[in-house]
Amino acid sequence: MQNLNLLTPEIALCLLGLGLMLADLLLSVRRARLLYHLAWFSCLVALGLVLYAPSWAGAIPGGGALWVVDHMSQFFKAVVLICAILALMLSLPYKPLPDAQAGTFSALLLFSTAGMMFLVSATDLLLVFVALELISLSSFVLAGFERRNRKSNEGAIKYFLFGAFSSAIMVYGISLYYAAMGTTHLTAVGPASPALALAMLFILLGFGFKAAMAPMHFWVPDAYEGAPTPVTTFLSVAPKIATMGVLARVFMVLVPASGMQMTVLLALLAMLTMTVGNTIAIYQDNVKRMLAYSSVAQAGYILIGIVSGNALGLEGVLLYSAVYVAMNVGAFAVVQAVGEHEGSYGLKSFDGLSRRCLPVALVMAVFLLSLAGIPPLAGFIGKFYLFASAIDAGRAAGSGSLIFYALALVGVLNSVVSVFYYMKIVYHMFFLPPRQKEGGAPALAVGPYIYGCLAVTLAAVLFFGLWPESLIAHVKFSAQHLP
Amino acid sequence: MLQHVYLIPLIPLAASLLILLGAKEDPRSPMPFLGIAATGWCLLQSIAIFYGAATGELSLPYGADWNWFSFGATAGGKPFLYDMPVGVLIDGSAAVMLVVVTLVSFLVQVYSLSYMRGDPRFKRYYAYLSFFTASMLGLVVSSNLLVTFSCWELVGFSSYLLIGFWFERPEPPYAAKKAFITTKLGDLGLYLALMLIFCQVGSFQIPQIREFVARGFMPAAVATAIGLGILCGAAGKSAQFPLFIWLPDAMEGPTPVSALIHAATMVAAGIYLVAKCYFIFAISPVAMETVAWIGAITALLAATMAVVSYDIKRVLAFSTVSQLGFMMCALGSWGFSAGLFHLTTHAAFKALLFLCAGSVIHAVHTNDMRQMGNLDKKMPITFFATLVGTFAIAGIPGFSGFFSKDMILERVFEHDPRLFVILAISACLTAFYMFRLVFMTFLGQERDLDRYLHAHESPWPMTVPLFVLMALAAFSGWLLDRGEIFTRLVNFQALPGIAPAHEAAHAPAYLTWYVTAFVFFAIYLAFRLYGGSNFREAESIKRRCAPVFNLLERRYYLDDIFLALVGLSDRAARLAFWIDSEVVDRFFVDGWGLLMLALARLCHLFDDNLIDRSVDATGGLSVSLGGTLRWIVRRGLVQEYLLWSAAVMSVLTLLTLPAQRYCLGASVGLGLLAILTLLLVRRPR
Repeated sequence: MQNLNLLTPEIALCLLGLGLMLADLLLSVRRARLLYHLAWFSCLVALGLVLYAPSWAGAIPGGGALWVVDHMSQFFKAVVLICAILALMLSLPYKPLPDAQAGTFSALLLFSTAGMMFLVSATDLLLVFVALELISLSSFVLAGFERRNRKSNEGAIKYFLFGAFSSAIMVYGISLYYAAMGTTHLTAVGPASPALALAMLFILLGFGFKAAMAPMHFWVPDAYEGAPTPVTTFLSVAPKIATMGVLARVFMVLVPASGMQMTVLLALLAMLTMTVGNTIAIYQDNVKRMLAYSSVAQAGYILIGIVSGNALGLEGVLLYSAVYVAMNVGAFAVVQAVGEHEGSYGLKSFDGLSRRCLPVALVMAVFLLSLAGIPPLAGFIGKFYLFASAIDAGRAAGSGSLIFYALALVGVLNSVVSVFYYMKIVYHMFFLPPRQKEGGAPALAVGPYIYGCLAVTLAAVLFFGLWPESLIAHVKFSAQHLP
Repeated sequence: MLQHVYLIPLIPLAASLLILLGAKEDPRSPMPFLGIAATGWCLLQSIAIFYGAATGELSLPYGADWNWFSFGATAGGKPFLYDMPVGVLIDGSAAVMLVVVTLVSFLVQVYSLSYMRGDPRFKRYYAYLSFFTASMLGLVVSSNLLVTFSCWELVGFSSYLLIGFWFERPEPPYAAKKAFITTKLGDLGLYLALMLIFCQVGSFQIPQIREFVARGFMPAAVATAIGLGILCGAAGKSAQFPLFIWLPDAMEGPTPVSALIHAATMVAAGIYLVAKCYFIFAISPVAMETVAWIGAITALLAATMAVVSYDIKRVLAFSTVSQLGFMMCALGSWGFSAGLFHLTTHAAFKALLFLCAGSVIHAVHTNDMRQMGNLDKKMPITFFATLVGTFAIAGIPGFSGFFSKDMILERVFEHDPRLFVILAISACLTAFYMFRLVFMTFLGQERDLDRYLHAHESPWPMTVPLFVLMALAAFSGWLLDRGEIFTRLVNFQALPGIAPAHEAAHAPAYLTWYVTAFVFFAIYLAFRLYGGSNFREAESIKRRCAPVFNLLERRYYLDDIFLALVGLSDRAARLAFWIDSEVVDRFFVDGWGLLMLALARLCHLFDDNLIDRSVDATGGLSVSLGGTLRWIVRRGLVQEYLLWSAAVMSVLTLLTLPAQRYCLGASVGLGLLAILTLLLVRRPR
């Protein structure tokens, strides 16, 4: 029953991470960048193992009932690994990262990734907590990796404090759960007792911290702004996706929210998250902060699928997670290129980007439009699925349908609001003249790694937007056979 | 020989296309000879067929069909798949028509070599002629009435092109238009008749239709309707009362064209069509009578109009109309072969007369007979040819017209004496106006010295056809009447059980000489009035009978009546226009527009006040909400973050446990505590 072989990818990744730390000691600083290559190669190996594995039908439990491996977990693991690879690719050309700690950096990233992989497989609160802590602790360090940068330090500290706070709440929730159920294993429960409901709420808030859901989102802008941009990219996608995976598993499959009378609560959280993210983003003039709030809002959209609780919603969560990775990584890659070149992440850095580097400006516009959910880009398909799942659930719910319709309505309204600030960036890129420096505005130089990232993500956004059937078929396949 | 008869229309068609598209316009172009050669080949073929048929070597009728296309159709309430064939059907009348058409076409083309020399559109003229010949031959040989109808329209089109050939002058385009539209009016009837035939029979094939009629499947009433429709088409094409108004004006075209199309061939197409569908008329006495009376009326009216005309070509045109009336009347009086016989001889002598007229016009450059005179010495060949043609048309014994007209008169006398009287008067009038033409043109004294001095005999391409036609005009009647060759050849195959075609004449023999005597009297009268150099007596008669002359010169006001009808339709069009612009446009269209405008205003108001305001409100709400939310974390203090989190968490807890009062109290307390703490730490650092 141990089925340790199911954890081959995670084990391999952890071992390779340890190996990286050792290699760091052996390699000279000049060659330290080689470690990034080793790191992404390690991720590639793990990805291969993950993709190689799911040839079984159904879900296979392991470690007693600690974890389960099924198509959905493999899907999220693959997506998370792809995030890690892309983040490592973006780290390669990123100057502020000290070469001396390349090994530490990439090893931490791999550990964090391994934590996410554990998380999406977990069916026991103990493993959930440990995995979360693995992610968090690695992330705290990664966020503060630019030691000379005060902003980075500030963000890391805030992130850490908030993390400690939310861990405490989650542990409290777990203890309540244990008190009510006599086990930490997540399983279907009868009518909700007050203690159990409270336990689930606190556990949810604990997850909310990692997924950047309101009201646990306050750390997001500061940490994102301060963290090295590749880390921001990573943090904005990987933990969120992994958390959404475990949220979907917990609140849609193991302990359905509808059974706990938590649907309204979750819906309110989703609405709050979307609204907070989008409305505050309007005021941001730092693009990293703006995208940070945007990522909060995006978490709210994904939450809609979990609230709906039907098959369409689950598929929507998977679909939007994959699509969100593509468009958000792409957008952050452009932000990194522009920010590094300009030395600032302010909106003004984007002035006249179309005249400095038209391809990058166009690509950025595509990502932003996709984030805003404009057809025929991938973001539209994802949002469509999520909103459709809410409507579907509303039709099925009967008397309690109002909350679903309200949810869909708020989602649509928020999409409208989001267009405003996304288009603000487009406006700066296309309609404002470049800032005049001495010797004219220099053309934007974009390195091969960033171009590679942009190409991959752009291809995904366009392809899944125009031919979503391929992704939908995959998602439908992954969403079946849940325990 | 007969199996390749389908080539007869196709070769002139190919020639026409070659001439039209294959060469540039050049006065010395050899292209006309291509057309002449094509027609010559057809002529030889036709003569061979005719000869074979006349001697009994070829058994007619011959038919061959090829499938063209199929379509689903319904006839007599039964749906079926009709395989539309295109084919040839050569019977006696077709064999005769083939010779007539190809011979006249050939001669006219030779004649035109000289007549049209120097014309800027010499080549195109020959292309049109070849095209006309092809269409006409197609009409003659087709076994399918729909194909016949198509060719019928194509000859009308060629006629249109050729009447308006000199389109720079004002009259020809007008005349062409008039001819086309008037003919079209008749075609309407023919078209309806064709549809009726198909509805009844389910086929366009003449043999099948004949079979259908022969078995007595066609009711007499339907046959009457079909017959009248065909008559309508024939009246348009063959210039019968009241649709003959276009033919005099069609003389605006080149004179050889008038000879070919408006004398010998195309105008005979109507007669030919009636003959082809004779079996339908055979079972409908009403249609038959109508044909006869229309023919008789046409013959008389046209003859009277010819008496007062001074235009040499117009006289011939009226004469043509009159003679066509003779043929029609003969057909309507069961004189099938008589009518076709007259068609044949008429083709020869009328073509001859037109070509002579062309020769005269070529010499003196005017159509007005009052400016001619005393040309017999200048143009002896033309004079002689005209004389032969006039003898033939007037029915001087021995000439061709005598035989055919005699046959008609006997037949009509047998059928209805009233018709006979009308036709006899017409025959006398014919002799009168034709000799009037001869006297005015060739005898007497020259009246226009200038024109007289310039007159000359025409060159050989114009005179050779005259000789050929002269011979035919003189002897064809005798040749074809000998041993009743013609009657045997084109005899109408009587339908079994229907009134037999009693062709044999039983009219008294003195009748012919009676009429001939009157004809000679008419000639004498013409000599008395027009034989001299001045026409004092004629003028005095004209003065005394002014109203009658006026009536005739105005062509019985038929043109005016038609114009009035056109005017009526013009009025109707104006009324329709008024309704359209004043009622439909102003009331419906504009009204609809105004309605839409009002609606649009309403929509605009709605849009402006409700939609836009709500959009603005959304924006404003978002902005203010964002501002508020940003304001609460404006200092970026992590303890504030945590407290706000705790506060929201408290509210959420409250929501989670609505039933549990103590928890509710605890949550409220916790929330209040959080907010309180927040307020406490608000003090800036």
